[in-house]
Amino acid sequence: MSDDLSQKLQRYLAEKLGASDLRVTNLSRIPGGASRETYRFRARYSDANVAKDRALILRRDPPASLIDTDRTTEFRAYQAFHRLGLPVPEPIALETDNSPLDRPFFIMEEIENCSVASILLPDPYSSYREKVGEQFFSILGRIAAADPDEIGLGDLEGARECCWQHETERWERVIDEDEREPQPIARAAIRWLKRNPPPPAQKISIVHGDYRTGNFLYDAEGSIRAILDWEMAHLGDPLEDLAWALDPLWSHGDSSRAAGTIAREEAIRVWEKSSGLRFDPVAFHWWEVFASLKGLGIWISAAREYFEGRNPDPVNAFSGWYCLAFHNNVLAERLSERVA
Amino acid sequence: MKPDVDQILNQSAGQLLGTIAPLLPTGYAQGTTSLLAFMMLMSAQEYERAADIRAIENAEIRALFAELGSLADSGLRARLSEAAATKDNSLRISTLNAANDELRRLLIVLQAHLEERPGAGARDAERRIWQVLKATAQRRLVRLPAG
Repeated sequence: MSDDLSQKLQRYLAEKLGASDLRVTNLSRIPGGASRETYRFRARYSDANVAKDRALILRRDPPASLIDTDRTTEFRAYQAFHRLGLPVPEPIALETDNSPLDRPFFIMEEIENCSVASILLPDPYSSYREKVGEQFFSILGRIAAADPDEIGLGDLEGARECCWQHETERWERVIDEDEREPQPIARAAIRWLKRNPPPPAQKISIVHGDYRTGNFLYDAEGSIRAILDWEMAHLGDPLEDLAWALDPLWSHGDSSRAAGTIAREEAIRVWEKSSGLRFDPVAFHWWEVFASLKGLGIWISAAREYFEGRNPDPVNAFSGWYCLAFHNNVLAERLSERVA
Repeated sequence: MKPDVDQILNQSAGQLLGTIAPLLPTGYAQGTTSLLAFMMLMSAQEYERAADIRAIENAEIRALFAELGSLADSGLRARLSEAAATKDNSLRISTLNAANDELRRLLIVLQAHLEERPGAGARDAERRIWQVLKATAQRRLVRLPAG
């Protein structure tokens, strides 16, 4: 790992934490998605004559980002939900200036000795499937239940009125800008979503934006220790997150198990109980179609980043190939049923 | 006798996954190497089927244009008729892709046009388009071995 990055990070943190003896060690890059470069490291320093040895995570902007996400939003979401007692890492520092580490970044606590499930694994949670699923959908309900204004996130991007339209137009713009070839299924989905708006949201919540298997850490006993990757957090309909979490791409190949964990009906029941919201199947169907369209937007954008050479992380190639084909198929199935 | 390209890719992926990746430090290096190996498996699959998928898809869309052209307004009908008469003169992927892009672009126009039209004929035509789109999406799905 670059000594240069390690030294720059050390200088920055020593000043930020007021610890002139701070030493950064064991800096190494870990997988963390294509939208941020993710590194783990240890920071050793003394604080009021007490020796500290902290495991930390650096999330730095790549030369180009998969989706134009705002690290300030991500950092603020970590702060708000950490304060609220949800399992999220403690945020430590946010830097939007390029000078300390060449690109903006933030630093947070590392949750150690945990796993992240790859979507390629058929049964990552094994005997802890039920336990993980209960927690996963219960935490999602707690995010939906939080009042954005009360937790200090009322000014996040998004719409309080007609959020369905705001989100549809947002992802249509992404596809307009990034598609490399005509996308008939995505275009048909956009037309369908606009012609068939869902009922108004029961409430406007913080939408995590990428709440799914692969974006949380769980320990060896199947306890969820951290919800990660809040970079697409925004205001919107909480059904957006539920539909994304239940999307077949995240089912580990078994569509009867929500996110590869518990039965779909059970997941919805847990979410309803935790959120205090009612599951509306009509509204939910709209958000299911939207979820797959949003998926296409993300994967089309990934393919563009890779093609342009702005971000050659192979995650972008995989997403723009495997995931794009997957969601095209899901949408074709769902939309063809509407005209059958 | 030489090894086929898909065999080279499959066996190289197996080497990377089974032999090379475990020697690398856990974290980004190991994860990225494994992902690259998975994409070699995907590439092997694509080597075998890519031209076939595109040639079939182009033929199906042209047939659709010939079949549904009469439902379109005159301007669009002429474009559909012209596109239906085109042919794939090469099996190079780049050439098939270029033709596919043109056909898909026109398919979007046709589908949007039919969605605005009343009547059972337009609904039947929509169903026909979805049959083709479903088949297209199915064909392009990537089958991965369990990771």
